[in-house]
Amino acid sequence: MSSVLEASRFGSGKTVRRIEDPALVAGKGQFTDDLNRPDQTHLVFLRSPYAHARIVSVDASAALAMPGVLAVYSGADLVQAGVKPIAAPIPFPRPDGKPAATELRHGLAPEVARYVGEAVAAVVAETLEQARAAVDAVMIDYEDLGSVIDPVRAIAPGAPVICPAAPDNIAAQMRHGDAAAADAAFARAAHTVALDIVNQRLAPSPMEPRVALMEVNAEGRLIVQISNQMPTAVRDTLAACVPGPSQENIRVLVGDVGGGFGMKGGPHPEDIVLAHAALSLKRPVKWCAQRIEEFLSAAAGRDQVTHCQMALDADGKVLALRVKTLANVGAYGTMAGVLIPLLVGPWVTTSIYDIPTIDLHLSAVLCNTAPTGAYRGAGRPEAIYIVERLMDAAAREMKLDPAELRRRNMIRPEQMPYTNPMAQVYDTGQFEKMLDQGLALADWNGFDARRAETEKKGLLRGRGIATFLEWTGGGALQESVTVDIKPDGFIDLICATQGMGQGIATSYAQLAVDTFGVPIERIRVLLGDTDRANGFGSAGSRSLFTAGAAVKIASDKTIEHAKGLAAEALEAPAADIEYVAGRFSVAGTDLGIGLFELAGKQAGAHIAVSGDSTAAAPSWPNACHVCEVEIDPGTGGVEIVAYASVNDIGRVVSPTIVRGQIEGGAVQGIGQALCENVVYDPETGQLLTASFMDYAMPRADVFKGFKTVFDTSVPCLTNALGAKGVGELGTIGATPAVVNAVVDALAHAGLGRDAERVQMPLTGERVWRALKGEFAGPVFG
Amino acid sequence: MTTLHATVNGKPVEVPIEPQVLLVDLLRGPLRLTGTHVGCDTTQCGACTVLVDGESVKSCTMLAIQAEGRAITTIEGLAQDGAMHPVQEAFIACHGLQCGFCTPGMIMAATCLLSKNPKPSEAQIVHGLEGNICRCTGYVNIVESVRTAAAAMAKEAA
Repeated sequence: MSSVLEASRFGSGKTVRRIEDPALVAGKGQFTDDLNRPDQTHLVFLRSPYAHARIVSVDASAALAMPGVLAVYSGADLVQAGVKPIAAPIPFPRPDGKPAATELRHGLAPEVARYVGEAVAAVVAETLEQARAAVDAVMIDYEDLGSVIDPVRAIAPGAPVICPAAPDNIAAQMRHGDAAAADAAFARAAHTVALDIVNQRLAPSPMEPRVALMEVNAEGRLIVQISNQMPTAVRDTLAACVPGPSQENIRVLVGDVGGGFGMKGGPHPEDIVLAHAALSLKRPVKWCAQRIEEFLSAAAGRDQVTHCQMALDADGKVLALRVKTLANVGAYGTMAGVLIPLLVGPWVTTSIYDIPTIDLHLSAVLCNTAPTGAYRGAGRPEAIYIVERLMDAAAREMKLDPAELRRRNMIRPEQMPYTNPMAQVYDTGQFEKMLDQGLALADWNGFDARRAETEKKGLLRGRGIATFLEWTGGGALQESVTVDIKPDGFIDLICATQGMGQGIATSYAQLAVDTFGVPIERIRVLLGDTDRANGFGSAGSRSLFTAGAAVKIASDKTIEHAKGLAAEALEAPAADIEYVAGRFSVAGTDLGIGLFELAGKQAGAHIAVSGDSTAAAPSWPNACHVCEVEIDPGTGGVEIVAYASVNDIGRVVSPTIVRGQIEGGAVQGIGQALCENVVYDPETGQLLTASFMDYAMPRADVFKGFKTVFDTSVPCLTNALGAKGVGELGTIGATPAVVNAVVDALAHAGLGRDAERVQMPLTGERVWRALKGEFAGPVFG
Repeated sequence: MTTLHATVNGKPVEVPIEPQVLLVDLLRGPLRLTGTHVGCDTTQCGACTVLVDGESVKSCTMLAIQAEGRAITTIEGLAQDGAMHPVQEAFIACHGLQCGFCTPGMIMAATCLLSKNPKPSEAQIVHGLEGNICRCTGYVNIVESVRTAAAAMAKEAA
């Protein structure tokens, strides 16, 4: 086989073995907790046992006297040392028109702790055991201020006030759409449906907890090794919060990341404490979160309650949507935590449907819980769940096939580019084509026979569908990549996006193989070093269509540049230089020089070329997901017995990776539908789900398998690759597909429209109670 | 302080330890075998799974001194003579891992399962992995990896 053919087996579109895998399956990954420094110290946090309490006094004397203890920090100590809180420039107003209101997050709460688990003190000791022992000896007196963990109660008069600038506990509020037009649409509607929706709080739960190791090196720079998706954001935030080092004097290094899912997007307050300790003590300081700390203080996902309504004409055409949502953003409004419910979700509220009128009323409410942030999907799962539940409710109301009702409302290909009521422009989308393929793949029309078979076993069967799109890109569409040809036979790709398990390095390498025609082993992908590359990082399903496009552009530029260098080396006109599979040659001669040999002849013995790519717009992947469930009426247990999806994802670079993203993502969506739920005690604000014994993660028995199809016939028109982001698509589709299937089964079992009152997670108990007619009350009381 | 005598990945070790030290901390600390991971505090996630005399054990819930005189195999000890174990091979071939953090524990649990039941049914594979949590893959490819490894090992044995 020629080298060209050999290399082409690993180019884009081909199924390859991931370049990440050999080290990971051998236990040779480089996760942050695998790193240890000589002279390393260990930091342990003391966390508030109160949901809302004034810190009256901190007595560290006993802890300081314990063996091995190097320092004890309180929040007041940090303030005194000039350590600043994390800025939260939230661009939304409060109901009174004033700017968004929130207290800022300090590394350690200096005066008031506002949720159970908020860090209030930290101990650094020579060993982890010494630090753990000493943290128990830090004495803090608290004055309980009374707490509220539920957004409905938080906005009621008399609720404890979490931030004085928000006496109603509303950090920010947005209205989108046209309320008067919506009123008119509802007035003339032939059909209206209304639902109460709970998008419960979720714990992102990457299997690797947050972890960081920080030290000051010989040159006085702060070296930060951290498990994170956004190295540059970590660098910049630490520079802004910790006195001393500028951005240039901080180097953030990221090795293998054991999952991120949005939660590891930028620094948490704990990281500021670590930086301060490393700078103060001039010793390496490590903190590795225990799982309980992840539940207590890592950014949580979702947590919205909604009342929503849909108005339709006699033909089932949707006239208007009304949505009223209270989002519990936790005790501190973070940028992501507020942006997600107030803007990102609304961007996709009308989804793939041609819905002319919306009236959205969205509030970000402060409660005494851990702050929210990005979690896989980040706003789109909540919004799509709302509209997909309403579609099913409307179909039930009108006695229409739910697929048919969706079809009647889909934006047609000839309407592209389509501007939705939130001014978002979809470049492409053939939604009905995805629907038709999805129905065929799922054998939609054969359902009645399968239901009859299931019922013979004494079980219930339901079928659910979700047709939807999502916004991708994280609002950051520019990326730069440097290609560096080394004389030792490697092509380095230097990128600011970050691997976190998704296999992005393999995808970049495949794109480079397309251009360079060398075996994939010749490509090295260098990520996670702010001394080499900076950018937004990896979030919002953006990496491939932004940085992947930059890989292609930088690679093409490199070949063009190197052709000129080859022309010099071969003393031939540049126009006569050809490049094939790692070698430049002069056309029509046997003169030539290898790419790597050419690099060795250059000043500095390498050829480095940077390429930029700016996508013109977000990509809009979309899909049709169909799920069937069986329910045991005796236990309420739900089993997913079939799951089929057709996904319009544009160009596919790594088919195996894409499938893994969609299917693995779907299981996270199934987790929300069926089992996951963060629960706080409503009276005390104690976290009741602080371990994997109480927080139910999907396990290997969650279901039988997927039928997953890609439709690559509709490339994205607004980026150089034609790719659409796929990291979150499965998560967004799975939740409504599964819940719609359960509701369908319950409705068919005699509950009718009452079945729509079930709320996630659909545990056996909840489904069993629903079958007995027992439901939770309305979300707004 | 006491001295532990055990076999780790085929090599005898003699190491001084405090009696309260957990096996996982011995492996990750003094023995520098960082392929065994810690993903929780409550013995739920299985990322720390190793083999002790061939039995899969969550090394976060066993004292190191309990390994006295026993043979411990970690993910680093699975490859033989530079060749990956069929279960490792299968996880790569079937995309049975994404971030790779749970993977060493999954592979050790799967290896234990296949050593006792070379031809597991899907239900037996799922049951064999019930003590291991993965957040990335959705498990489908992990189950497929175990099935593929079983077939490869059967072929090897034939």
